[in-house]
Amino acid sequence: MSLLARQNAFRSEIASADQDGRAPSSTGMEIYRNAYRGRLLGALETSFERTRRWVGAEAFTTAACHYILTRPPCSWSLDLYGSDFPELLGDLFADDPEVAELAWLEWHMQSAFAALDAPQLDAAELAAGDHAPGYWDDLRFDLAAGFAALPIVTNVCALWNALSEGDEEFSVTRTAGNNLIVWRQGLSPRFRSVDGAECLALESFAHGGTLGDLAQEHGADRLGAWLARWLGEGLLARMAPN
Amino acid sequence: MTDTIPRFAGFGLGLRREHQRDFVEHEQPVDFVEIISENFMACGGRPMRTLEAVRERHPVAMHGVSMSLGSPEGLDPDYLGELRLLARRIDPLWVSDHLCWTRVGGFATHDLLPLPYSDEALAVCIANVKHAQDVLERPMLIENPSSYVTFAESTMSEWQFLAVLAQETGCFLLLDINNVFVSSVNHGFDPLAFLAGIPADRVRQMHLAGHSAGPDGMLIDTHDAPVCSEVWQLYREAAARFGPCATMIERDDAIPPLPELLAELELARGHAASPRLAA
Repeated sequence: MSLLARQNAFRSEIASADQDGRAPSSTGMEIYRNAYRGRLLGALETSFERTRRWVGAEAFTTAACHYILTRPPCSWSLDLYGSDFPELLGDLFADDPEVAELAWLEWHMQSAFAALDAPQLDAAELAAGDHAPGYWDDLRFDLAAGFAALPIVTNVCALWNALSEGDEEFSVTRTAGNNLIVWRQGLSPRFRSVDGAECLALESFAHGGTLGDLAQEHGADRLGAWLARWLGEGLLARMAPN
Repeated sequence: MTDTIPRFAGFGLGLRREHQRDFVEHEQPVDFVEIISENFMACGGRPMRTLEAVRERHPVAMHGVSMSLGSPEGLDPDYLGELRLLARRIDPLWVSDHLCWTRVGGFATHDLLPLPYSDEALAVCIANVKHAQDVLERPMLIENPSSYVTFAESTMSEWQFLAVLAQETGCFLLLDINNVFVSSVNHGFDPLAFLAGIPADRVRQMHLAGHSAGPDGMLIDTHDAPVCSEVWQLYREAAARFGPCATMIERDDAIPPLPELLAELELARGHAASPRLAA
């Protein structure tokens, strides 16, 4: 057997489902199979600790085992395993949308914690300099390290806070038109809910939008209030003039 | 590229999340710190600030778990690129990884899977180690993993395989004494024969760890317990045979408070300084 064929056979044996009815070919292969599953399950339990508490250990393990069987890892970092677990939870808990939203929030808070650095922009830096006509209109920004956004339909931010305080009897309510954003301010991951307009405004920077574009769409007063808040929250990074 | 790694006769610990604050906020009595490379590749924020703070105080060894040196499909260029970036940033004592495979056909195993000790696997490993060393512009340390299966294709022992790999690539060796012991029990070989077959001038680091009992009398390399007496005895033999090199206590699960590991590291210092027991 060639080395590649040997490795493919090995892979099939450790990653196969118990329902296949195939017993491990040896005690050693059983050890490898158990280690493979145990390591992936442990990674999901660590990354989605709050989600596990919310749905319960048994339901979480069932979902995690399904994920491990259907979406094997492909990244060199175990920390990256589970990126689309929230999507699977959305399918499995279709009547409880807070489950997938909570899992998404956990995943992105963890990702933001270790995301590559982006130089944070502050108000003084923005105001400094000799500003030529059109300076403000042409300004573009990058978003803070770890920025991500998701449309939400529940009060998942309050659920996160309740779980942080050990309250597992929290009442989930439905909301409409809200979005959840995550980013890193300095060394600390942050999150909050934003309405659709503010979320689109922030996301426009990722597509090359300028302050001038936003002022035209939302008006100078609204944009000014947003800008002050974004700068205070460290949501904006490096200024990139056109 | 330099073709040697100077001997470094220190005693160190792994930088685990549970102990990061201890290392950042206080001076610790270790000669070096070992990191899992993948935990700091393509990463910023607090993890990178922590590593930079630790690096200011201690030499750092980079230990990888995902290079997949036994892959006939070759090495992942993105992985190698990120590893090289981290090495340039940290200026480590050395970069190490395992004699194993962790990837096939886009599937990542996240386990150190065993190789047959065959001419084909040896050729694959030689090519991959040479490639990695070219990219990293430094010789690597290659570690012996624990294993739980053997293969009909094997035509040589693990130590013969490692010796030829070192000779052909110029790599150095990270000898995991616990893994030698675990594999010797699982596969029925003499651990002293393993040590005797290793070229002494290539060993630069030794790992010590605990293991646990598995099914059918097998041992499992769980890194969740103190070093056992048999492994200490084998370490004394290895320390006498291989001379000054770096020694590290590896604990990856059931991680105790740092003082417990520092006490175990002090035991390692004592064993390394004492005469060997075996002939």
